[in-house]
Formats: sequence, C-alpha cells, structure tokens
Amino acid sequence: MEIKTNDYRVWVDGSTIHYEGTMRLSSPEDYAPIQALMKQVLEANEGRIDLDLMGLEFLNSSGINLFAKFTIEVRNRGGVGLGVCGTARIPWHAKSLPNLKKLFPALDLQIL
Amino acid sequence: MPVPHPLKQRLRLKTFRGKFILTVGTVVLISMLVSTALALRNAKLLASDATAEIQKGLTRASQEYLTNYIQTTALRVDAVINETHAEVITLAATMQDLIDRPQIANALGSALAGGAQPSTPLQYDPVGKWAQNAKGAPSVLSVWGYLLGSNKKPRPDVNRLIRETAVFDLVSRSLMTGGARKLQFYYVGPKDRPIMRTTPYADQAQTYDKLYPGHNAANFWDFFFPGVYEGWQAWLRDISLMPVKDSYITTTKPYVDATTAALIVSYFYPLWTKDRSNVAGMTAVDITLDQLAEIVQSVKVADTGFAFLAMENGNVLAVRPEGEAVLGLVTANAASGRGVTGVDRTLTKSGQAEIRSLDIPTDDRTRIMRVNLLRNGVSAPYIVTLQRLNKRNLWNGKVIVGSQLVLGFVVPESEIYAAMTAAQASVDRSLQRILQSAAITGILTLLVLLIVIVAISKPISAGLQELAAAARRLKDKDYSVRIAAPSDDEVGEVGIAFNRMAADISYHTENLEQRVKDRTRELAAASQEIFLLNERLKQENLRLGSELDVARRMQKMVLPKSSELEAVQRLDIATFMEPAEEVGGDYYDVLQNGGNVKVGIGDVTGHGLESGVLMLMVQSVARALEEQGESDPVLFLSVLNRVIYKNIVRTESDKYLTLAFVDFREDGEVILSGQHEEVLIVRNGGAVERIDTGDLGFPVGLEPDISSFVATRSLRLAGGDVLILHTDGITEAENPLGELYGIERLCESAARYANDSAELIKTGIIADLMTYIANQKIHDDITLVVVKQR
Repeated sequence: MEIKTNDYRVWVDGSTIHYEGTMRLSSPEDYAPIQALMKQVLEANEGRIDLDLMGLEFLNSSGINLFAKFTIEVRNRGGVGLGVCGTARIPWHAKSLPNLKKLFPALDLQIL
Repeated sequence: MPVPHPLKQRLRLKTFRGKFILTVGTVVLISMLVSTALALRNAKLLASDATAEIQKGLTRASQEYLTNYIQTTALRVDAVINETHAEVITLAATMQDLIDRPQIANALGSALAGGAQPSTPLQYDPVGKWAQNAKGAPSVLSVWGYLLGSNKKPRPDVNRLIRETAVFDLVSRSLMTGGARKLQFYYVGPKDRPIMRTTPYADQAQTYDKLYPGHNAANFWDFFFPGVYEGWQAWLRDISLMPVKDSYITTTKPYVDATTAALIVSYFYPLWTKDRSNVAGMTAVDITLDQLAEIVQSVKVADTGFAFLAMENGNVLAVRPEGEAVLGLVTANAASGRGVTGVDRTLTKSGQAEIRSLDIPTDDRTRIMRVNLLRNGVSAPYIVTLQRLNKRNLWNGKVIVGSQLVLGFVVPESEIYAAMTAAQASVDRSLQRILQSAAITGILTLLVLLIVIVAISKPISAGLQELAAAARRLKDKDYSVRIAAPSDDEVGEVGIAFNRMAADISYHTENLEQRVKDRTRELAAASQEIFLLNERLKQENLRLGSELDVARRMQKMVLPKSSELEAVQRLDIATFMEPAEEVGGDYYDVLQNGGNVKVGIGDVTGHGLESGVLMLMVQSVARALEEQGESDPVLFLSVLNRVIYKNIVRTESDKYLTLAFVDFREDGEVILSGQHEEVLIVRNGGAVERIDTGDLGFPVGLEPDISSFVATRSLRLAGGDVLILHTDGITEAENPLGELYGIERLCESAARYANDSAELIKTGIIADLMTYIANQKIHDDITLVVVKQR
C-alpha cells in the first residue's frame, strides 16, 4: 500500500505507516485517501500500530488534524497500541506531537 | 524527375530486386567459396597424409633394404677376405707341417733339388749384392747379401732352409691358379735367415733395390715389417696379447707393393718353430685393392649409390672413382722411405664437411644417417649406411693391433625417394585437376544460380515495383491510382493498405470543400455552446464570489477596528492579517472590558468559508464570555472549547483550532493561556524571550473537555517591552527555494524594529517576511499582533 505524489509519500510496512516529504493539502477532504489508508492499517492490526514521521518535513494544520483524529479513533477503539516516532530536528514535531500524547496518554511518543 | 527506363530500373543495384539479387548472390557465392575451399583443403590434407604415409613406408622399406644389403655385402667382403685367408692358411699349414717334420722337408727339398724341382739356379747379382734364381721358374727366391757366404753362395744354414722350404713353390703355384683372386703368395724365413720366396716370379730384388734402397743392408723383417716379428713372438709368450683370438692372420695397411708396384694389402700368417718357442717366418698373400674394390664396387644402390670400404681411422681402402668424388676424398701418398709406403685417403680429410664429421660406428650395429653433400656447388641430401666388419689383426707399421674395416653405402636421397616424389607429383596433378574441375563447376553453378535468382526475383519484386510506380503516380497527384489484385503476402497487405489510403486521399481531396463547410458549421455550433457555458460559468462564479464576499465581509467586520485598538490607553497595539485564500482560518481579537484587555489569537485548520464561520463562532463566544466577565483564563478557555466542540459536532465539521489568550490585567500582570505558537517578548533593550505555549492548553474543538490541559503563565511587561503574537503562516512561509522562514528570523526581525512604535514594528516585520517570500506562493494565512507596553 502506497500513496505517492511529487511532494510526499506514504507507505505501509507491516503495521508501521511511514510518512515522507511535505504535506500541505488544503482541506480535510484532500487528506481522505491517507486517512483511508491509516484506517485500513488500523483494521488489519490487533496489537500495535506505529507512525513513522521521521521523514515528514512539513505538515499543515489540516494534516495535524488528521493525526489528532486518528489518535482519538485508536484511543476510542481500545486494545490497540499506538507508537509515534518523530524528530526534534523538525519544528512541527516538537510543537504538535505532544498534543497526540495528551489525547491518548497510552500513546508511545518518541521524539528523537 | 525523369522516369527511368523499366529495364534499367530493374537492374539497378538501388532497386529492391537488385539488392535481393546481390544479397542472395553474395550468400550463394560465399557458401560456394567456403565449401570449395573446405573440399580443397580436405583433398590437400588427404594428399599430404598419403604422402607422409608413403614417405614413412618408403623410409622404413629403404632402411630395411639398405640394412639388409649392407649386412649381406659385409658378409660377402668378410667371406672373400676369409677365402683369401683360407688359402694363406692352407699354404701356412703346409709350411708349418714341414717345419714340424724336418726330415720330410729335407727329403722333399732334396728331391726337388735333385732335378724334380721346377726352379732355376741361384745367381749372384754383383750390382745388388744379393742372389736370386733366374727367370723361368714359377716362383722367385731372393737371398739377401747378408745371408751369403764369402763365396757369394748362401750360407749352409741358409741353404738348408732353402731346401726345406722349396715346397712353397709347388703349393703356392697351385693355390695361385684357383680360389680367390690374388696378386701373389710369398714366404719369408725366420729373422736369422729371412730368405724370400714369391709366386709368381718377378724381378723381386731388382724392384726392391729401386723402390727401397738400402734394404739389402738391413734385416728384412726390421726393414720392411718392423714390429711384426716381435708382435708374434709376444703372442707366443702371452696368448692374451692377440687382438683377435684364434686368428694369427695379420693384415697390413694398404701400401704400394715393392714387387708389383701395385696398391695392395697383405695378409701375413706366422710360422712357428717345431717346439713353438719362436717365430719361424711367415707365409703371406697380397691382394690388390682393385680386387677388393671389385667386391665393394659390385654394390649398386639405386642409380648412383655406391659402396666404400674404410679402415677404422676412416682411411678409405676401396671406392669407385665417382664415389671418391662424391665423398670428396683426397689421395695423399705417405712419405716414402723405409718399409712399405701406405696410402692415405681418409674420410677425416674429405672436402665434404659432413663427411669429415661422419660418425664411424664403434659397434656392430648398422648405422643409417642423412648427410648433405655438395655436388657441383649444390647441397644435396644423401643417405649414408655404415656397417663394421669382423675384427682383424692389423700391423699399423709399428705394432700389431686389432682393427675392423667399415663398409659404407652412400645413396642420394632423391633416388631413394624417387618413387615417392613421382607419387607426390601425381597427387599434385590430381589436386590441380580437382581444383580446376571445382572452379569450373563453381562458375557453372553460380551462373545457373544467378539465372534462377534473377528469375525468382522477378515475381518477388514485381509487387514492390508496382507499389513504387503507384506511389510515384500518387505523388504526381493522380489519386485514381490503385494496385491491381495485390498478392496475399506482406507486399499484398501493403498494397491493400495503399489502396485504402489512396481511396482516403482521393475522398478527402475531392470532398475537401464540403468538409470545410461541415466543419465550419460544427465549429460555429461548438462556439455557441462554449459561449453559453461561459455565461453559466460567469453566473456561477458570481454566485460563489458573492458568497465568499459575504464571508470575507463578515470576517472583516468582526475584526477589531483600529479605533478600538487606539482606545486602549496603556498599550500600543498593531495588527496584520492576510488570508491565504478569500477567507482565512486565522483569528485574532482585542477585547476590552473595564481595565482588562484580552488579546486572542488562533488558527482554524483549513481555509475557506467553513473555517471563516468557525472563526466567527469563536469570536462570538469569546466576546460573550468576556462580556460576561469571566476572569479565570482556564475556565474561559474550557467553556469556549465546550461551546465550540458542541457546535462542531452539530455542524458535522471536522475542524478545530489552536487558540491562546493574553490577559493584560489592570495591575500590570500579563497572563498567558491556551496552546498556540510561541509568544515573543522583546524586552526594552533588545533581548528576545520565546515563550512556549504547548503546556498551556489544547486545540479547541477536538475534545469535549480540555480543562485538565489548560494552564496559565504570568509575566510582567516594563515600559517599551513588546509582546508579539503570530500564526504559523509567518514561521512556515517559504522562500523560492522552499526554505521555511522560521522563528529565529522572526525574532531577529522583531528585535530589529522593537524600538519603534507597534505599527512600525508590524510593518517592518511584514516587510522582512515579504522580502523573504519574494514571488513564492503564500500557503497559509498570515496574522501578526504587536503589543507594546507604553
């Protein structure tokens, strides 16, 4: 499973979803295919899902909204672990990822 | 362009048919050349194999032949020599018998002397000072001067010996008449009485006087055969000194015979005293070399092959004159003087280099070797065969040694391989014939094939030629041209396609006018359609535009007016908002209620009307709460979140916003609450403080209750301090290279203008930002609120 454009690339490797590039889609509707892909991974995995954001250089507020909504969905489902991996090098990671932890305290957040 | 003549066109190499003929012809020619070359090569290989086989067989056969021949000849030479030996042995046996029985010798001698003898009386020669019987006798008897008494007659003991050996004349004469061919028999007495008898009669002493002056003064044995007598005496003492066991025969080297002046070889046979204690003279036979050579010369190998007989040291005893020339032999007579004069004609002094270095065999095996000899200045190969004969006793002029003669055959190799050369020539002629017939067959085949190729190329190329002709006519605008009955191959398919295309071209050309009319009509209809669509689109845009216009006006209406900002006495406030699209998602407000001033800033996810409406809602609720007098920032935010969350759920929107407030209390305290971008403080003096608001709240509208996340932070501003709020549209703005503006640049920019009024600070920061962005697209709303403590 892979979504690829000139600006970004999203692909699944087992239960890990990797993000790479710059995501600057203008509305939540534009994020729908990525959301569908993430939901699909969520449906397919019982134990834990990991989001690898190390390569995601930029994400606009609609994109952050997507991750927030997904975190809430995982939290509400219960029984599924969620790991998020980011880097302190990228500004939006430090700024926005802690909010995901606030939404879902069991979330395994690693900002390297 | 002139149309080429059909025939010329057909035969030109540029045409398909020409290329076809050339290609097939070349392939055929190459394959024929290759197969012919292979066949010839095989034939040559076969011929050379056969030649090699023949040469091998011929070499083996000729070697066997030469070996057999030389061995047979060697046996013959040995046999002849043995035969000669037999006669001297017979003579010697008779003489020895008489020595062993002196009374018979005496009686026989007396009987012969008594008139029965055929001899003539001895006569003293006053010139030579020797005695010799007169002519007329079958044998000559010479008595040397030192054997004569003062009366010029033989001494008594000499006379007794003459009597006892008179039988020699009888026996030798009969032996001369039969058996092998020889020159003469002779007898020499013991060393104390060396009388000499020779058969047949010759002027013996006279010849000796002529050839060997002084011989009459010395002992015969010592003068003529020094070392022979002593050698035989040694044999008596020690039998192991005999070079050849069981054979007393002693051979001389070839020499010039004193009696006949012929080149001869002598065979001596010693006589012994009765008690075998001493030598008692000898009998001997001379054979001329010519006689020995007859045996050797009777050898004939091939046309000019010859034989030679040589001594161990290479001295050639017998060879035909032409053989002598081939071997390059040079005859050199040894210095004359005492004794017999030998002949020196050795291989080692040959004029032929390869003869000089010829390897004389040292055993009894037959040797066959190949040498190159010069004949008339040209080097030619010869086959030389060598075979050693039986061992003989040889007196070498000093002592008696063992010696073996060597028989040699010399044959020109060309004669031996004459048959093979003839066979090879025949094979070469056959090859020549094969080559000729192959060439003729090849040329004929090529001609036939060319005719066939030309013939079959015609139907193959006919279709293409027709196509080419048709295409030329089409080019000349004859659209009626068609290919008649195309064949059912690929060319036929092209023909059918050509016909179809020609028909199309014909149709299109002929109907062009009508088609232009039709198309113009179609275009006019389409144009009308587009015009109508365009009209509709305009109306739609107008509708959408007016909708957005309403939203934009709404948004602008709710933003604080500049008069409101100026009304705040203790703070110098300037604001900037630039939506990325028609209606932005950013929010800011400045609310004043009594002594408190509340500045809010937020960022709704997304843009457009929906985001704008959410912003309006936030503004309204915040205004309501402020008016209600809610002074607890945590409660303020929590309530606002609840209201917005519920409204979002109702409107089924999935948007939310970041939202932070700054309360400027009347007592000078400044309280930050809510999560948003960093808040910048530029102290009076230029120091910039960055305050992270991540822990002060939570996005609004995402969760029903965020009260547990909301916190406050208190600080104080001195006069001249500047507080700056912004949205991420500033920090995440990109330059043409795609690099983000970032918080550091914003800080630097703020510090640069911090001494100015809020308005100028705002203008400077925005100018720096716009310079950075240049012509790059603005992705997000840009909002900036500058508050300067007066």
